[in-house]
Amino acid sequence: MSTATQTVAVGSEQAVHRQGFGDVLSAEWIKLRSVRATWWTLAALVGLGAGLTVVVCWGNADWLASPEADESPGAFLTWGMMIAQITAVVLGVLAVTSEYGTGMVRATFAAVPRRGRVLAAKSLLVASLLFVVGTLTALIGYFGGNYFLDREGIGMALEGDVLRAMYGSGLFMAGLGLLSIAIGTLLRHTAAAITITIGLCFVVSNMVALIPGAIGLFLERVMPGSAGTVIATPVSFNPNLLDAWPSFAIFAAEIAVLMTLAAVALRRRDA
Amino acid sequence: MDSSDIGAGDRMIRAQALTKTFGDKVAVDAIDFTVRPGRVTGFLGPNGAGKSTTMRMILGLDAPTAGSVTVNGHRHQTSPAPLRSVGALLDAHAFHPGRSARDHLRWLAASNGIPATRVGEVLELVGLESVARQRAGRYSLGMGQRLGIAAALIGDPPVVILDEPVNGLDPEGIRWVRALARRLADEGRTVFISSHLMSEMAMMADHLIVIGRGQILADMSTEDFIAAHATSYVRVKSPARTAVAELLTRSGLDVEGVGDALHVQGLDASAIGDLLHHDSLPLHELTLVRSSLEDAFMRLTADSVEYRSKVGAVTAGAAA
Repeated sequence: MSTATQTVAVGSEQAVHRQGFGDVLSAEWIKLRSVRATWWTLAALVGLGAGLTVVVCWGNADWLASPEADESPGAFLTWGMMIAQITAVVLGVLAVTSEYGTGMVRATFAAVPRRGRVLAAKSLLVASLLFVVGTLTALIGYFGGNYFLDREGIGMALEGDVLRAMYGSGLFMAGLGLLSIAIGTLLRHTAAAITITIGLCFVVSNMVALIPGAIGLFLERVMPGSAGTVIATPVSFNPNLLDAWPSFAIFAAEIAVLMTLAAVALRRRDA
Repeated sequence: MDSSDIGAGDRMIRAQALTKTFGDKVAVDAIDFTVRPGRVTGFLGPNGAGKSTTMRMILGLDAPTAGSVTVNGHRHQTSPAPLRSVGALLDAHAFHPGRSARDHLRWLAASNGIPATRVGEVLELVGLESVARQRAGRYSLGMGQRLGIAAALIGDPPVVILDEPVNGLDPEGIRWVRALARRLADEGRTVFISSHLMSEMAMMADHLIVIGRGQILADMSTEDFIAAHATSYVRVKSPARTAVAELLTRSGLDVEGVGDALHVQGLDASAIGDLLHHDSLPLHELTLVRSSLEDAFMRLTADSVEYRSKVGAVTAGAAA
């Protein structure tokens, strides 16, 4: 093979490209783009996140405008994101576990032996993608849903807490993606990681509210499924939770802890 | 290190006291070996002998329990340009079934800053251009092997590792792998190929490293291995068995009685026939028997099993 011979000779004399984080980032971006699951989950995020918000605002607008309403219209303006969070979990988990399921992870780590770079690149890409798509989805949901609220004279302007909930939705989705990457890295199994992450965020986070007293209240406030959502809603359904940014700080700290565990496990375990 | 030493690695694989244990089980037992450039080195052993574990350690996928292994002058974990240093086929299906061959090779290239044009080159090299845009999950085992080989060569590496590359290939594909391995070695690369098939390795490899139960049983040229292990003898049957045995022994030949036959080493069949004729001894059968390399390999690895269990017993006694 003439090309091969030629390059071997070159390789021994010339400086060869040294692998950097940018290389790993572009490799992971090609991986993410080149499977359909990425596009299906993002399409589902937009469909569920914006679509359900519009439907729920349409269905509740006249009740919210009536005197017997006991919820703020603001609680409904990003309602769909609470369901769409499942897609963020799927995207984050699959970014990692699909490699373990197929054995491709060995090709990945042979190509990028500094494994932390792979985790960092996946995290950066999934979080960025979810932030952008999550924010856009919230905006589409807002414009669609607020149209029906406006008709009843209870529309909310895109400012203050409403505006914060827009990019807050992006932050929540990005955070969930990171949480899912960390759990996927720790468990290395698609079904287990999706089940546990969704169970943690949907089921356990809501069930701890049943625990009475101060402990129950504390747990309710710090569970990732609760702490993460506050920033994504203009007005929270749950009055027990802390304000948006303190809640988000708790959520971010939990992600940091899990991500650290994931990075340590990734370096220590055989691939 | 400056970048000049990336390309100027030693092009070798060097293992020193390389050890891997899984719980109580010793998969690789303090092995030393060096794989050199310019030739095809066969890594031969029965299934479960420690071949794949060793290859995973070379690539930094499994961490050695003790000892070390370097490839092209580096521990792979610290390699500044991993795919330009060593390329490997470890698992025929180490790709995402929903991703095309082209995209699989594109991310590999990108991960090491290899120009995207190289993707087309390796696709052509392995003959997958026409199906490069299909989802790899639809590939046959043989096409998967070809994709794995393309992936191994994407960085044009001086060291190439292929784990059981002929698995699932048709005869044409096997010939192709054999020719490719030869060409890569002739280009001055280090080619390290594992197999559990002795006959396959005898045809492909210049040098053999035989492993059994995690230990190196032989490390020599294929020629020497064949000379040392593939014995041949002449089977002689005669109604005058005792007289024939005496005559042949007296002539300085190595004679072994097996059933009603004699196995004779040291002279070819016609010379033995002449010898018997000279003494007018009756001859019923005179056959040259070659024990195959496969037999030699089986004997060698079977011995290692016995040897291992003795060592195990001694160690257990010492520990108690």
